[in-house]
Amino acid sequence: MKKEQLFAKLRANTHVQFDMPDIQMDAIQYEDTLKQFETITQSVGGKVLEVEKGADLNALIKKSYPDAKIIASNVPGILAQRNPDTVAEAQELNGTDVGVVRGGLGVAENACVWIPQTMKEKAVCFISENLVILLNKRDIVNNMHEAYKRIEMDPKYNFGTFISGPSKTADIEQALVMGAQAARDVTVFLLDE
Amino acid sequence: MSTSHSKKSKEILKDFGKITRHDQTFWSVRVKRDIVAKQLPEWEALRQKASEIKRHTISHLADYLEEFSKNLESRGVIVHWAKDAQEFNEIVYGILESHKVSKMVKSKSMLTEECEMNKYLMERGIDVVETDLGERIIQLLNAKPAHIVMPAIHITREEVGKLFEEKGISKEIGNYDPTYLTRCARHHLRDQFMDAQAGLTGCNFGVAKTGDIVVCTNEGNADMTTSMPKLHIVAMGLEKLIPDYDSLAVFQRLLSRCGTGQPTTTFTSHFRQARPGAEMHVVLLDNGRSDIIANQEHWETLKCIRCGACMNTCPVYRRSTGYSYSYFIPGPIGVNLGMLHDEKKHSGNVSACSLCLSCDFVCPVHVNPGSQIYSWRQQLDKIGTANPVKKFMSRGMKVLYEHYPLYDTGLKFAPLINKLPWAIVGNPKLNPWCVGHDTPKFAKESFHELWKKGKVK
Repeated sequence: MKKEQLFAKLRANTHVQFDMPDIQMDAIQYEDTLKQFETITQSVGGKVLEVEKGADLNALIKKSYPDAKIIASNVPGILAQRNPDTVAEAQELNGTDVGVVRGGLGVAENACVWIPQTMKEKAVCFISENLVILLNKRDIVNNMHEAYKRIEMDPKYNFGTFISGPSKTADIEQALVMGAQAARDVTVFLLDE
Repeated sequence: MSTSHSKKSKEILKDFGKITRHDQTFWSVRVKRDIVAKQLPEWEALRQKASEIKRHTISHLADYLEEFSKNLESRGVIVHWAKDAQEFNEIVYGILESHKVSKMVKSKSMLTEECEMNKYLMERGIDVVETDLGERIIQLLNAKPAHIVMPAIHITREEVGKLFEEKGISKEIGNYDPTYLTRCARHHLRDQFMDAQAGLTGCNFGVAKTGDIVVCTNEGNADMTTSMPKLHIVAMGLEKLIPDYDSLAVFQRLLSRCGTGQPTTTFTSHFRQARPGAEMHVVLLDNGRSDIIANQEHWETLKCIRCGACMNTCPVYRRSTGYSYSYFIPGPIGVNLGMLHDEKKHSGNVSACSLCLSCDFVCPVHVNPGSQIYSWRQQLDKIGTANPVKKFMSRGMKVLYEHYPLYDTGLKFAPLINKLPWAIVGNPKLNPWCVGHDTPKFAKESFHELWKKGKVK
């Protein structure tokens, strides 16, 4: 089908045109966005760790996931066996115990954390058994309206995802199970930067 | 007087235990939706805005499609336009063939169900693997989804367990624990993600201004589907478009709250271009949507965001399951979409409504599917699928109600019916109305007479 034909048909078939509404919402605000973010993260099955200034992140990762053998990350300063920037293929990241990525922004109303792709293989955000997201605790907004005004993508990759807790499913008899296809466990490290 | 829906549901209702569980499962989802909706003081304003944004977008669709496709193409994404299901399947197959793809993983997409794409591709030798757990179960059972968000919820854990044993996915015979079975599926699907050469996803929202394809999942399967293969194909209906990020915020907040009662889906992923070294295609499907826009009475069905809330709340859907409808999308919205697709073929679904309008009450974009079903019912005679017995009865009633002397006489003798034996009143051949309905007891004196005699105080 030619798109010009389609556009012409759509225009001809439209009988009334409606204006775009004023979209400014008087949306929910929280007294303490950090506390709300923590509460909702836990309710969606995730964990939150408040990290003090200058704390050793590698030690905290080890403490959070003591059995982890393979860590994958391209975040400077994180000790990792695999780097999503330098693996030849995304498949090589399979079997990663902990992926460590950088979050850009957290959302209090639903525990979403915006993760723009800043690595060659975004697979690291999904394929790892456990995911650690590093987030500045001052980068938490109230709701999605505020979030969508602020999020940015790396123009090199043009991909980003909101992640709220671990991958989950309730497809078998509505029984909630954490760890469907992506990370089974997610911890958000709230950094004092 | 049975419709295709009532005939099919009669069969399904024979398993009382199963239908009760089905009913309770979906009602519990409705309850969850109410809880999260009440947490937001702006809930009704969100629904109103969502409806207005969609009205605006659909009535300016050509402009937005132009902007959207331009933005995608500026970043090397290849955009295709499919007139109907046949063209859609040919385009997808063409892309796969040119990349010599033998296995494709895919995340959930009702659009590919609409086009019966899996069948088309598999007949041509491509191994298509569903990766949403529910969809995978349905695929392995060789069945069809019974709900647009929770496709396999009607299947018991025992059935899933036995299926997985049979397919070699589960090794522990007799272990029907959902956590165990989900783990088995995780391992099984992980292997599929590793060696598939292509990944196909649906699209929940297309953002015109930025050229984003937005895909929402809980399992993360759309992300796994697009992270390993070197080819990403997006299957998208024309009506999925919205103007910008401010609009997206409204819909992102509504979708999962309405659909499953969650404050968000676990993953809300935004694709603007192919990942490094890969190729991305977007196939936009019309398949009648451009005709629906011209339908003054029903064009607003195009506002639907496929959250499934109308099914979860519908007393008829909950007690008859998705398999009692003739169209691939069941429930209130499916009744409407079916009629728009082929009114003769799917007229048998419009009876699947008690006109309680609970669906109108929960719909996040004010599609008002229940009110629309009412309007379709008024059209059945014109379409030529009105029930002849009901038509006859309606004509009789018209005569009766328009002639007062006749009505009064009828009312006077009506109590005689009370004395008729059940063999007559309860005989479906003589009185088709008796099926599922009790015959009312007629009063000895009508209200009219009581009033005249001053007996009404």
